[in-house]
Amino acid sequence: MKHSRAGAPPQMFRTDLPLGGSASRFIPWLMAIMVFLVILAISGINVFDSILAGWSRSVTGTVTVQVPPLPASGNTSADRERAERALRALDGLAAVDTARLLEQEELDRLLEPWLGDAAGAADLPLPALIDITLADRSQDAVSEITTAVHTVVPDAIIDDHRRWFDRLIGLTEGFRVLAIGIATVIVAALALTVVYATRASLAEFRTTIDVLHFIGAQDGYIAGQFAKRTFDAALRGAAGGLLLGLAALAAIGWLAGNVESGFLPDVTLGISFWMSVPFVALAAALLAMMTAFFTVLATLRSML
Amino acid sequence: MPYTIFWWSRKADFELKPQPSLRRNFAAPGSGSDHIDTLAPAVELSAVGLQYDDGPDVLNGIDLTLRPGSFHFLTGPSGAGKTSLLSLLYLAQRPTRGSVTLFGTNTTSAPRAALPGIRRQVGVVFQDFRLLQHLSAFDNVALPLRVAGTAEAEIKNNVSELLSWVGLADDMDALPPVLSGGQQQRVAIARAVVNRPRLILADEPTGNVDDAIAERLMQLFMELNKLGASVIIATHNQLLVDRFGFPRLSLSDGQLNETQPGGGATADV
Repeated sequence: MKHSRAGAPPQMFRTDLPLGGSASRFIPWLMAIMVFLVILAISGINVFDSILAGWSRSVTGTVTVQVPPLPASGNTSADRERAERALRALDGLAAVDTARLLEQEELDRLLEPWLGDAAGAADLPLPALIDITLADRSQDAVSEITTAVHTVVPDAIIDDHRRWFDRLIGLTEGFRVLAIGIATVIVAALALTVVYATRASLAEFRTTIDVLHFIGAQDGYIAGQFAKRTFDAALRGAAGGLLLGLAALAAIGWLAGNVESGFLPDVTLGISFWMSVPFVALAAALLAMMTAFFTVLATLRSML
Repeated sequence: MPYTIFWWSRKADFELKPQPSLRRNFAAPGSGSDHIDTLAPAVELSAVGLQYDDGPDVLNGIDLTLRPGSFHFLTGPSGAGKTSLLSLLYLAQRPTRGSVTLFGTNTTSAPRAALPGIRRQVGVVFQDFRLLQHLSAFDNVALPLRVAGTAEAEIKNNVSELLSWVGLADDMDALPPVLSGGQQQRVAIARAVVNRPRLILADEPTGNVDDAIAERLMQLFMELNKLGASVIIATHNQLLVDRFGFPRLSLSDGQLNETQPGGGATADV
């Protein structure tokens, strides 16, 4: 066999360790699963952010006045007159941009998701609702409205949605923190698994490492060999996990699109999410590489 | 130093072509090494003792000084500690007692970071070759140069020349499993000497080859010795020791004795 070095790989891609050792064979699979889960966790974080932003946009700057029906009166015209009295009290207030009394059809539509088509025929003692858009979003504006309405209808309920929204924010924040926690645990699990896989590889390639060591290889050189090898395996797995994650998001999006509107908030994953997803795969591969590098370095330091 | 390495041209049985540029590429032992004292003894062992766990002393109170350019056989019965002594010299382990000084650096007390530089001055031929099975003959021989950060162009020239020198010009891309024992032996020796070490340690380098190849390999070590390297060859082969007549270091019961070819002990030990 005549020797030719024309096909030799460039130095940066060459490794003195055999690729595909049994201990590292599962790294691509592990990476694929980890990246898949991290993408789902990050998309979860983004979904919660998107939901929060949507809710915030829809409720901030609005106030709802509920004028309850008179107890057991059945006198709809008296109830209507109380609502209009409250509406008139809002006229000319600096805090109010617009104020509108919701019609019966609109109330029926609001109840439809719960009561269905029978909502209009239910003849329920519903409060009249006045939808107010604020000109001024301060708490003083809500106080001014409350004072004005209570002057004419003392039992009217002024709802600036803050209490309801604060609870939702708390709940959503909880889910968000949970998603971040899951992502962190996945990353930690990935690092730990790479540590153990690398240690197993160290045992597997002990002869090779000894030879490199005895011919004067610096620790960094040997660790670099492992790091290159791990990065190669990890990147392949991460790319697979990325594709799997994107496919899962597409499937979830398709399923969510089939659900009746009104039950699920309208959620879109922003451009920053889609831009960041490939970096998740790259960052995971880099993390695996760095973990392998420092694991080998620590192990070699225990040798002479 | 007026080195000559045309020895193979005088050996018809080696069937190698002269490689004049080897004179340039293999100019001086240890060339390129930093912080190495070129005038210091190659090896200084002082009261060296070695013990594995709570077992008996494998080596006990060994003193030895080898000057640069010396050539010694290391002999002794199986289990006498020859491989252990060599392992101390290629810095695979530290002695339990005493100190090991190579090229003027006390390796027992030297910081760990200094050891790779010293190891690069030591070429080791392992008894079992320890070739990396997944690397070609070329890449195995190139390994010491690569870990030293030598440029690929230079590696290509030097390794090709050296493999041609040891008669493996047509087997550079062959993996070790397809090479014969003698060919693997030559790859292992080429790897040990490719970066021109100042100390060559060979553990039974002729143990797996026939007499003709053993003779050739000895000629190779002698030529490298002429180029300035100190050589220690551990062997059981009494015929080889008698045939070449270099001083003998004999290990027995953990003690080391040196015998000159005429039979007299020297003051080094």
